[in-house]
Amino acid sequence: MGWKSFQKIKNKLQWKVGHVSFVQRVTAASKKNPSLEFWKLAPKTIYRTQNMSASTSEEVRETASSSSRGDGGDKPNTKEEEKKEDNLLECNICLDTAKDAVVSLCGHLFCWPCLHQWLETRPNRQVCPVCKAAISRDKVVPLYGRGSTKQEDPRDKVPPRPAGQRTEPEPGNNFSGFGFGDGGFHMSFGIGAFPFGFFTSTFNFGEPRPNVSPHGTPQYMEEQFLSKVFLWLAMLFIAWLLLA
Amino acid sequence: MTSAMSPSERRLQKELMSLIKDPPPGVSVDAEQAEQNLLQWTIHMEGATGTLYEGESFQLQFKFSNKYPFDSPEVTFVGSNIPVHPHVYSNGHICLSILTDDWSPALSVQAVCLSIVSMLSSCREKQQPPDNAFYVKTCNKNPKKTKWWYHDDSV
Repeated sequence: MGWKSFQKIKNKLQWKVGHVSFVQRVTAASKKNPSLEFWKLAPKTIYRTQNMSASTSEEVRETASSSSRGDGGDKPNTKEEEKKEDNLLECNICLDTAKDAVVSLCGHLFCWPCLHQWLETRPNRQVCPVCKAAISRDKVVPLYGRGSTKQEDPRDKVPPRPAGQRTEPEPGNNFSGFGFGDGGFHMSFGIGAFPFGFFTSTFNFGEPRPNVSPHGTPQYMEEQFLSKVFLWLAMLFIAWLLLA
Repeated sequence: MTSAMSPSERRLQKELMSLIKDPPPGVSVDAEQAEQNLLQWTIHMEGATGTLYEGESFQLQFKFSNKYPFDSPEVTFVGSNIPVHPHVYSNGHICLSILTDDWSPALSVQAVCLSIVSMLSSCREKQQPPDNAFYVKTCNKNPKKTKWWYHDDSV
């Protein structure tokens, strides 16, 4: 315990502060002044806040027992143990007992809804909240207790919170032939690889062509002008095609 | 009572309880104020003994959004005594990566307080950040709007 685990935590948290590196300053400070008892207290508190995971459970047990000795050893032992058990099964994000529990490959426990929300918060930098190891939907293992009636993968559930949560996109799975082809369709016509007559007649398919505006109105003038412009453009384009 | 709480309030309530019950050394929370408005806490912090800040006391303000803990809290020094430190601007803004880019929902108020105490304790010379005057004049009121530049990624 003590200094060694503080080092470990420090590495985990990856503190980066200001102009001088944190490590340098911490080591320098503690070398200079060994009376900095504060540093030795640090790991205890951090561990307690983070509500442990399997990988560090040994240290937790140690911390928990030493702290219970500290703040009142007269409490009944069983109660302490119960509490410890509870802490071990708490989600590292909501601090409640993990619901739809999943565990990361680095050993940290979360509610799936909590972890899912975190992964969505930073989709391009998905790291474990506790140790910053790479993490993703596929790198977590669902936990099934004996009490759970249906052994259904928590990751398949749409996270129940927040209310407006969108479902996770399945990359590649929602391929729809029509939608996909449609995009290409518009593309090729937009580029104008075909003569314009074809362009105008096919581009509007599916919806009726608008009625011609009555003579003399501004719309009529505008439409006439536009059609002339496009006619000239088409002619220029065809001429260019022929000459080139 | 707990069922009516939002997930962020629930977590804040838990954190508040644990911070009141066993706070890190030199740290105490204004419990009454925090209980009235869970989204804004005031924390009293004492400079650790044996450091340049021994005997000084500071006030930290934590503001939480309803996206907490997925969104980091807004943490600034407030009150009459702002620590003179190379990473603390004279308007109370703090240059600490875990408050923005490196925030993680597994961190907590307690962990943030601890980092700040550590940051102060490891200071060897009391001086303001080199760009203090310019920053204080131009920055947004919310430190999270600042694009912080964290030096030395090798740590």
